[in-house]
Amino acid sequence: MSVLYLLVPIALLLAGAGVAAFFWSVRSGQFDDVETPAIRVLVDEERPRSSDESPRP
Amino acid sequence: MTPAAPSIEAGDQPGAEASAPAPDTACVHCGLPVGAAPVGTDPYFCCSGCEIVYHALHESGFGDTYYRLSDVAREREPEPAKTSIDPLVLSELDTDGFLEDHTEQQADGTRTADLFLDGVHCAACVWLVERLPQELDGVLAATLDLPRARLSLHWDPDACRLSTVAEWLLQFGYVAHPVRQDASESRTEGERSLLVKVGVTWALAGNVMLLALAFYAGLDVSGDPGLATAARWLSMLLATVSVGYGGGEFVRRAGASIRLALRTRSLRSLHMDIPIALGILVGYADSAWSTVTGSGEVWFDSITVLIAALLTARWLQLRSRRLAGDATDRLLSLLPSMVRRVGPDGTVDTVRLDEIHRGDLVRVPTGEVVPVDGVVASGESTINNAVLTGESRPESVRAGSDVAAGATNLRAPLDVLVQAAGPESRVGRLLDWIHDGAAPRARVASLADRLTGYFVSGVAVLALATALIWWWIEPSAVATHVVALLVITCPCALGMATPLALAVAAGKAAQAGIFLKNESATQHLTEIDAVVVDKTGTLTDGRLSLIDAVGDEQAIDRAAALEAHSTHPIAEALVRARGSCSRDGSTGAGRTDPSQVAPAVAPTVAPAVGPVVEDVDAVSGQGIRGRVDGHDVIVGRPDWVRTFTSTWPDDPDRFTEWAEHGHTPVAVAVDGRLAVALSFGDALRPDSADILSMLDAMGTDVSLLSGDHPTVVSAVARSLGLPADRARGHVMPEDKQAAVERLQQEGRTVAMIGDGVNDAAALQAADVGIAVEGGSTASLVAADVFLTRDGLSPVADLFRGADRVMGVIRRNLSFSLFYNVAGAAAAMSGVVGPLVAAVAMPLSSLVVVTSSILQRSFPSPEPTGSPAPGSPDRPPTHAPSPSP
Repeated sequence: MSVLYLLVPIALLLAGAGVAAFFWSVRSGQFDDVETPAIRVLVDEERPRSSDESPRP
Repeated sequence: MTPAAPSIEAGDQPGAEASAPAPDTACVHCGLPVGAAPVGTDPYFCCSGCEIVYHALHESGFGDTYYRLSDVAREREPEPAKTSIDPLVLSELDTDGFLEDHTEQQADGTRTADLFLDGVHCAACVWLVERLPQELDGVLAATLDLPRARLSLHWDPDACRLSTVAEWLLQFGYVAHPVRQDASESRTEGERSLLVKVGVTWALAGNVMLLALAFYAGLDVSGDPGLATAARWLSMLLATVSVGYGGGEFVRRAGASIRLALRTRSLRSLHMDIPIALGILVGYADSAWSTVTGSGEVWFDSITVLIAALLTARWLQLRSRRLAGDATDRLLSLLPSMVRRVGPDGTVDTVRLDEIHRGDLVRVPTGEVVPVDGVVASGESTINNAVLTGESRPESVRAGSDVAAGATNLRAPLDVLVQAAGPESRVGRLLDWIHDGAAPRARVASLADRLTGYFVSGVAVLALATALIWWWIEPSAVATHVVALLVITCPCALGMATPLALAVAAGKAAQAGIFLKNESATQHLTEIDAVVVDKTGTLTDGRLSLIDAVGDEQAIDRAAALEAHSTHPIAEALVRARGSCSRDGSTGAGRTDPSQVAPAVAPTVAPAVGPVVEDVDAVSGQGIRGRVDGHDVIVGRPDWVRTFTSTWPDDPDRFTEWAEHGHTPVAVAVDGRLAVALSFGDALRPDSADILSMLDAMGTDVSLLSGDHPTVVSAVARSLGLPADRARGHVMPEDKQAAVERLQQEGRTVAMIGDGVNDAAALQAADVGIAVEGGSTASLVAADVFLTRDGLSPVADLFRGADRVMGVIRRNLSFSLFYNVAGAAAAMSGVVGPLVAAVAMPLSSLVVVTSSILQRSFPSPEPTGSPAPGSPDRPPTHAPSPSP
């Protein structure tokens, strides 16, 4: 059972990484509009999207 | 793939040369029914706007992809394409002041801006709009937010002007206008930070649950002291973060509520956060004590899940509020803030409204809204004050007349000497007053909060009883059982019952074109027992139209052909009644309301075989005469027309009768003989009578207060079956407000339904203010609920929906109370441990969540093509006209 002393902290680290990713995605506005990106997938296009996809600061 | 051509119902109309499609044939572009007077010949369109956009799409090679995508993700109501934009809005987009105020400069000199985009509704719109960077040089990126109808644009101002972008969008039927008075930034910020809290608390709750699972699976201090102790301390660490970071909000608000209750000495000031905070704190403290001492129960998992679940409900509520906020922003941003200033040398330049000062001269073209308070310096015209005063009859103005901001200029251009502009104008001051007055309004305790006082007292009594009973049975177990009671009765489901139901309802209502700006309105709506209704623009259309015609049909068409050469409001109404809907397809017409396009445009779209009109002579104040297809036609005031006719029927009573009803009678003589009698007035909306009878059936007292002439008001009341003592005319805005307040003092809960500037104060004072579609800015700001669907039928939906939402809330509350009583009984009898709490609490919340989501409060909009041809759901401009 003593392996848990190692596994639980690793699990917590993973959870922390998840939270950090979530924090970043909220801050960059990915949850502000959850509908349009789903539609954008349908648009198959040769389009070379410009590098700055979200111009909002 | 090209769109399927609409089926042509030739069999129904044998003998018709070019058989017209059935009225419910879908418009090839927007999918709405084409009506009785379709535009184009196979494919058919509902209006020329759609026709223009259809051809524009095909010419630019976008047609195939657009129509392939247009059925995808079509959750929004489509609308007929608009192809005209206010030139003032266009010109404003390029001014330095606009770039300065509403756009942001990037480091490399490019700029970013947000624009509202009317008309976007499906996947094809997203695809088309986001092609901007490929189509226009200088546009670097375009991202559309479909639910909010907002376009984020990144462009290089040196390579491309913003107005060019707007014009490009316009050719495909999207009308862009700038984002003004933007409150969405702070709303987004609030939403994001709460969402982060939700995510973090769920992550903590998940990990605490994992650790708790080990305890439930058999890990205990006696078996494996090292691991068990470590797991407990780790749980405590995680729970401490959760309580401090997520639960702090509840504790703070509970503290504020207790302080308020102490100050006001009233249990009513207590709200739901108190038992929540109590449950969290007691559970946490007891578990922490157990962890430190190494004995007893830990409740960390229940507490952390509770915090995460409650924060989630709160976040959903916040998110649903943005629907109304976004819609308000969008409607307010429609106001052009540009003005045509006449320089000393007579030249006209467009400047921003805030550059206008007292003493400037401002030009107001036909069809535009007067932007300032002032005196007419030159020009003679008719203005429509319906929005400002409620008067349905247009008023003549000439040099020296006072005009107020908000009136619509109907006939001829006016030059106005500015006396007050912007915030100093009467409308501006009113808006300020509404903004200031909104704050001190008393917070209405929601149903759940009203229960809290009893709930807290009940829990306190039960806790005391539990303590006494267990003191008597087994003194050492007192603390355990009291804590179990407080944790299990922590009103998680109760706290979620109201916000969740309201949040889901707000979303459904918004889809139905009803925006609830504040949530207490929903509850109030079910308690309404008095309704005050405005007339002009609310029960009626708010503009002149042909109401009745007696006589020769052909003569009416001749009169219309003649009147097409006049700009008088009556002429405009006649042409509109007899013309086709195609007028708003004329591009570049600088009008805020396409339906008010001056009739001068009509002949250009009239069929080539139209009547020949010669020798037109308009006599001011009397009427118009001329030759139509070789016949002498005279249209005008009955007594004036009479002087030209040799025979006059002995039945002139019709004209007097119409005049008594508050309508304007008009006579048409053809070749010296009275051919047809016409009556013009402010037509009732088709659904007005239904709404009033519904309100009556609900047992509410309806009264009609209007600023219009008492004759007109009583005539409207009569035709709606309203008792004469319930309808008053010549009511000043202050009197409307006073009337609402008087009803409130009598103990009534009052709803006000209105649209005008003169209704704003009453809308604000009423318990629920409802602004109908197309209302003035002031009414929009003052109202608690506003409608974006035409007509009054949404009002009925609103009342019915509010009833159902309150039903859902009551169902949720009863269930939660039942759960809490059962939980309390179990805790008192000593069977509640951490495992029971961990299972029972989320289960109860799940029931409430399900019940809220499955509610059927507001009807969801029908799929495309729902409105019947010519039904009130269609914009009035598209009303089918009889074929010539």
